[in-house]
Amino acid sequence: MNCFFRLLASLITGTSLLLSQAASAVTLDDLQQRFSHQPVLRAQFEQQRTISGMSQPLKSNGNVLIAQAHGLIWNQTKPFPLVLMMNESRMEQRMAGQPPQVITADSNPQMFRFNSILTALFHADRKALEQNFNLQFSDLGKGSWQLVLQPSTTPLDKLFRQITLNGSEFLNEIQINDLQGDSTHIRFFDQTTAPTVLTPDEEHHFSS
Amino acid sequence: MKNTIFRPEIHRRIAYAWAIGVIALLIALMVVLPNSRLNSSVMALLPKEHIENIPPALEEGFNQRLDRQLVWLISPLQPDDQAPALWWQQQLKQMTAFSSTSGQMSPDHQQQWGKFFFDNRYSLLDSATRQRLTGDASSQSDWILSQIYSPFSGISAKELSNDPLLTIRSAQMTQQQNNRTLQLNNGWLTSKDPQGRVWYLLHGELKTSSYDIQSARQTVEKLDQLKQQIAQKWPGTQVLQRGTLFYSDYASQQAQQDISTIGSVSGLGIIILILLVFRSLKPLWLTLLSLTIGAISGSVAVFILFGEVHVMTLVMSTSVVGISIDYALHYLTERMVHGEDESALISMKKLFPALLLAVISSSIAYLLLFIAPFPGLQQLAIFAAAGLTGAFLTVICWYPWLSRRLPVRKTLRLGFIHRWLFYWQNGKAFRIGIPLIALLISVAGLVQLKTDDDIRKLQTLPPEFQQQERQIAALTGQHSDQKWFMVYGESPEQTLQRLESLESALDSAKQSGWLNGYRLLPFPSEQQQKKNIALIRQQAPEIIHRLQQAGINTTQPSFEQTTIKPQDWLNSVASEGWRLLWLSLDNGQSAVLVPVEGVTNPAALKQIASNHSGTHWVDKHTEFSTLFSVYRQHLTTLLGISVLIIGALFLWRFGLKQGLRCIIPTILSLGIALAVLSLSGQSLNLFSLLALILVLGIGIDYTLFFSNPAGTPSTSMLSILLAALTTELSFGLLAASGTQAISGFGLVLSGGIFAAFILSPLALPERTNPGKIS
Repeated sequence: MNCFFRLLASLITGTSLLLSQAASAVTLDDLQQRFSHQPVLRAQFEQQRTISGMSQPLKSNGNVLIAQAHGLIWNQTKPFPLVLMMNESRMEQRMAGQPPQVITADSNPQMFRFNSILTALFHADRKALEQNFNLQFSDLGKGSWQLVLQPSTTPLDKLFRQITLNGSEFLNEIQINDLQGDSTHIRFFDQTTAPTVLTPDEEHHFSS
Repeated sequence: MKNTIFRPEIHRRIAYAWAIGVIALLIALMVVLPNSRLNSSVMALLPKEHIENIPPALEEGFNQRLDRQLVWLISPLQPDDQAPALWWQQQLKQMTAFSSTSGQMSPDHQQQWGKFFFDNRYSLLDSATRQRLTGDASSQSDWILSQIYSPFSGISAKELSNDPLLTIRSAQMTQQQNNRTLQLNNGWLTSKDPQGRVWYLLHGELKTSSYDIQSARQTVEKLDQLKQQIAQKWPGTQVLQRGTLFYSDYASQQAQQDISTIGSVSGLGIIILILLVFRSLKPLWLTLLSLTIGAISGSVAVFILFGEVHVMTLVMSTSVVGISIDYALHYLTERMVHGEDESALISMKKLFPALLLAVISSSIAYLLLFIAPFPGLQQLAIFAAAGLTGAFLTVICWYPWLSRRLPVRKTLRLGFIHRWLFYWQNGKAFRIGIPLIALLISVAGLVQLKTDDDIRKLQTLPPEFQQQERQIAALTGQHSDQKWFMVYGESPEQTLQRLESLESALDSAKQSGWLNGYRLLPFPSEQQQKKNIALIRQQAPEIIHRLQQAGINTTQPSFEQTTIKPQDWLNSVASEGWRLLWLSLDNGQSAVLVPVEGVTNPAALKQIASNHSGTHWVDKHTEFSTLFSVYRQHLTTLLGISVLIIGALFLWRFGLKQGLRCIIPTILSLGIALAVLSLSGQSLNLFSLLALILVLGIGIDYTLFFSNPAGTPSTSMLSILLAALTTELSFGLLAASGTQAISGFGLVLSGGIFAAFILSPLALPERTNPGKIS
């Protein structure tokens, strides 16, 4: 599952970079050259999960930090604090009053199976992306765009029906529909690329 | 006594008695042979009682079981192409050699697996869940919420209603974490290498021991055929294999090759030698007879005492031939020279003391090998002592009668022997020069001598085997270096409880970096299962309450679960891949292996084991290498003491001058033996040291022959020449063996014997007139 965090992280940085620089119609190929320039991105998120059989959707929110040199931090503040740190070799879930749950690429290669693909995504490696998804990129005009990913390999195709990303200047929305009829909607806002260095607090999150 | 047995009527009776004895030996051989086996395991050469306190049946059981395991990794050209692996699985199923095989798990199998875990989810709680439950109930509910809120966890309403406490999810995550490299893929366990190739894992268990040479050969041949077929059907498919079977088959092939080449070349050499010297076929049949009876005596003794013979024993035993043939040659030489002057019995009476001394001293030298507790060497000791005795008795009892009408060659031309002895007795250049050269060579060799007790060096495996071994270890994360903890108890329950108490120590050892990983049987004791159920039953109401507060619709599950017995777990699909590590005897005694890898601090792990009752740290390779080193040092001391005692005896018996003449060739032959070893690039180990003991035993005989004032130097020289030549023909060829231990043994022996032969005339008293020699 952390793979998808990577995927998400990549898409957020990738697409925001893309759109901050794009005036004309863009293609995935353009991303490939531009992605490596944005060191840090911060954003707020708001998530809504709809699980079938559950009377009301589950809402959560918090902020997210993507630092190219360090990885991703998914910092949920409500309804309860939960910090998720991910980089190329480890994933760590921290909750108050619990020992951190650590999964490393070494101890669980399966969970890091798509790591290379997702790293490739960081660099907009279109070839690697296309090996796992059918991509449908559309320019919606006025700087808006949409990328639809349809999994084409196992086990992605056993879990997800479709992943849809919407954005303009930055990535604004992710909609995940899974095969069991549940769905997740994440909205990003207050995106900022400054400052480009991490605060000591953020550094602390990455250190383990 | 000595005189009475050579009275014709008494000697005849003794000869008949020995004939009856030989018939008895033949019958015994026919009885024991069908139940005996040829062992080819290097491990079988090593001491058996090295793990104290563990019931031998448990250790034996594990060894036997591990020996029967075979693993294949099959990589198709296309990662998703299961056809080659499936075909291989079908072929294995059809082979009668296997008692079980496994490869792809059927969907039905996977369902059973899921059902077993679902049915027993509370008694089989994983360690992470247990840890969360032991604290505040909120730990578990928080964790459940974190999973539900995570957009990527893939939790469905169905999973939540079936298992609201998410125990199965946690167990699976823990298990995945423990399985470092293998993944379940369409029912196959697969691994991916850095080049992106996918490898499918298959497994088989042999019906019979890997050391059963005949069936091992058949199985390996069949598997080789399958490999060829798979390469034809699916070009580009790669197959890796691992199993004791392949090593044992390789070793026995190698040994058979050794025996046939060494045996035939040395046999041919000896035949030519005998024909050259005696110019008659009769001595050939006679020596063959005594050799055969010697071999039968040796085999019967070994089979009766050990129930098996090791191939290494067999190869080294060919060297016994070279010594036992000496008795026949001594007598036949005597008859050839003095056949007309004296009767056959008189000749035997004359030679008897020397022969008796020879058989006793050689047997004692071989029996010294018994000191080291290595089965292969003990077998060799028994084989040699019994074999030499058998050959000796045949010569003593039957030769006087059988060697009648042996051609006499009184006019044997011994000119070169006379000259050689003359120079030794008169030439300062010989008496001082040759020993000096020998001393220089010894020093040059000894300076470079290295010791190496690593048992892996004893067996030279083809690089192809080692390459496969490394690849399989990298792909599966399962190493075959046999490092593990063995936990045992009087009952399955006690064993499992002891195993549980070891877990935290292993965890902290891992954190300290003493080891990289370990595989702990994922099955809790009954005590722990009860605790698990009680724990979750106690915490569940609070967890459910908190989930409900967070807006999750869940209800309290029922906890009507009983504990599972180890046997039920073993019979279920859930224990697949783990059964090998569990062994239970009929009396309840049970044991579990905990394989570890990436060991950096074996001493600390040994300490952990000694802090836990019923737990042993097993590191065969290190243990055996240490043992080799210890026995090498013991034998070095023993050898040193022997040389000192012999030296003292010689000085006391012969006086300073003659005593030194007798002891110098012996000491120099030891030095040359070591020099040959080190100059040929090999290092000193236990085996080469054992050869050194034999050099001492045999070499002394040569000097004693010469220092005997009653002996005639030229006849002694001829016998010694023949003896040394036959010994070289058998030992020298051992040096050509493909097995390093045997070739080192052969090098030391042939070098030492050669030096002893060259230097032994130094023991001759000084004389001036060459004419007086004969």
